Amino acid sequence: MKRFALRFARTTEMTLLVICLVFFIGLVIASNGDLLEPNSLRVLLQFLAVPVLIGLAQMVVLAVGQLNLAVGAVGGFAACAMGVLMADHGVPVPLALLIGFLLASVAGLLNGLLVVLTRINGFIVTLATMTVLLGVQYRLVGTRTVDAYPQSLKSFGSYAVFGVLPLIFLVALAVAALLAVMLRRTVPGRQLLASGGNPIAARLSGISNDRSVIIAHTLSGAILGVAAILTVASSPGVNKSIGGDWLLPSFAAPIIGGALLTGGSAVVLGTVLAAFIVRFVDTARAEFSLEPSWVNFVVGTVVLGSVVLGQVRSRRQERRTVVKAPDVAVAGGVS
Amino acid sequence: MSAPVSETATAALQEPETPVEPPRGRGGGRTPWWANQRIGLLILVVALSALFGILRPAFFNQQLVVFPLLRDIAMFTVVGLAQMSVLSIGHMNLAVGRMAAFSMMITGISYDLWHFSLYAGLLVGLVAGTAIGALAGWVIARTGVNSFVVTLALDFLLLGLIPLVYTVLTDNAAFVTKPPGMRELRNYSLADVCIGNVCGSPAVPQLAMFAVIAMVVVGWIYSRSKLGRELLMTGTSVKAAELSGIPTARRVITAHAMSGCLAALAGFMLAVSTGSIKATIGEEFMLPSFLGPILGGTLLAGGFVSVWGTLLGTALTSVIRKGLDLLGVGLESLNIYLGLILLVALSTDRFRTVLSDRQGVRER
Repeated sequence: MKRFALRFARTTEMTLLVICLVFFIGLVIASNGDLLEPNSLRVLLQFLAVPVLIGLAQMVVLAVGQLNLAVGAVGGFAACAMGVLMADHGVPVPLALLIGFLLASVAGLLNGLLVVLTRINGFIVTLATMTVLLGVQYRLVGTRTVDAYPQSLKSFGSYAVFGVLPLIFLVALAVAALLAVMLRRTVPGRQLLASGGNPIAARLSGISNDRSVIIAHTLSGAILGVAAILTVASSPGVNKSIGGDWLLPSFAAPIIGGALLTGGSAVVLGTVLAAFIVRFVDTARAEFSLEPSWVNFVVGTVVLGSVVLGQVRSRRQERRTVVKAPDVAVAGGVS
Repeated sequence: MSAPVSETATAALQEPETPVEPPRGRGGGRTPWWANQRIGLLILVVALSALFGILRPAFFNQQLVVFPLLRDIAMFTVVGLAQMSVLSIGHMNLAVGRMAAFSMMITGISYDLWHFSLYAGLLVGLVAGTAIGALAGWVIARTGVNSFVVTLALDFLLLGLIPLVYTVLTDNAAFVTKPPGMRELRNYSLADVCIGNVCGSPAVPQLAMFAVIAMVVVGWIYSRSKLGRELLMTGTSVKAAELSGIPTARRVITAHAMSGCLAALAGFMLAVSTGSIKATIGEEFMLPSFLGPILGGTLLAGGFVSVWGTLLGTALTSVIRKGLDLLGVGLESLNIYLGLILLVALSTDRFRTVLSDRQGVRER
């Protein structure tokens, strides 16, 4: 137990947790304690649910060494589909949400299948599906804002347990927990990470890399389906701009959280904590009434800083192992 | 480590069989079929233009359709070249649009505060673009972090920085001072250039000359100069290039600086053709910047570029966009078709490569 605690103390997650706490305390002091009131806490957490999920949706494809540029398009498309089904066609709420969720999952599955079948780079495949889905989303809602869906859904979106913990935030946390268990404890999850870490070794151990890629993309789509449901429930209406600003945050959260772009890393907690940090930056921005652009500026700096730090750390580790394997020094001295 | 420099985020899983070398039959350049791909593109562009022209004779209206179409093609070709120069070393530049916005911000400042002339401002913008590109390249070369992440973070940073500067320096989020000659450059075509009694076509915008210059310079660099060969070798294999005595770190910086410079040029062309210098310049650059080069046969993994292919790929997408627009296909459906065309074009290409690869294996 003690050893586990020591190991945890050195991880990225621990660093992020400390940063989160420092940030939070700083914000509480800056707002003279206003932030601790139930209402402000609720708002803080309310707007965290969707960023957590889109970060996780990107994280799971990064884990297998792929990336998904279509996060915003899949989410926006599913959200608009749900809105249109409920408002224009009178489909009952649970059925509409289920259809939207399935649509997003199928979109993810399609991404995976296209990557595997055509062997085109995942970057290009998801760029293409992003374009297609943006078109579909625009076709569904046009320039209007769909908001005529049942009040029951909106009250679900704004309901908070004890007036502090929003239901949608708890849903996001539940998805994160499920994903963590899946990646760490189940066979498909372990296989997915193995494929991401070293495809050749994975194949030699009898793991189908193609299946891992398809599973990762489908999972990403499913998580985006949940994100779309929460968006529909918590926002006053859906229009064509839903999902438009998801792409950059979706990469920021896992990268700050310590995910490797080359695959093989599962950083569910890191992604969630990174989403917290981004949210704190946004809250601080509002607290000091600065321009919204500051958030992007700070997040960009943080992303760049965290990857550079991560690189320095891994290089230092490498240097320690160089003594044992002199070949690494030759290959490693390039850049 | 050298690996992150040479590989795109996803390259590792795409070709588990051939992790380092690019797909065979493509990068060689000696096999003639990649030339066929460009000829195929050319035929497709001509055929589609003819088809649209028959369906809607207005497609050949010189003032209203052909002129803006060529202006778009010229601008997006430069955008494509900006992406192509980083693709040549196997990197990506996700900040291509924001680099354009950044350099146009500097250009706008030079017009507004320092009262520079049109071309002096352009020069300042190009220098700014080169500098920001070189900065991205320097960070990548220095830290070995994936180019995808670095340019993504830079995109974030500039996305925040640019509106801040605009709110400080301007009233309506746009620089209003326009140097003399800007409006003329926007509307002038070759019809305004006369040698004796022979004038050019009114359908060809003068702005297109910037694209021609960019294509000639970039084409010369990649096909004739030592620098171009070194860039392509860096893209093919960083390790091999390093062992052959190529300063790969410096080449990484060069490629990104080139990309920034071309992005700045594209931003200038957009600013001239829309007539305003504002913070949103370059927002729509990301997708076209990849479409042109990739349709034209440039490899994502690095090591092979095609300047003509970039022009043709850009022309194809622009012609389709314009044609569908004239046919009355709504804005919303345009994206659907464009995405599907991209997928189909690349899938058929990929199947051809796979087939020829298989034949090659059997012969062995």
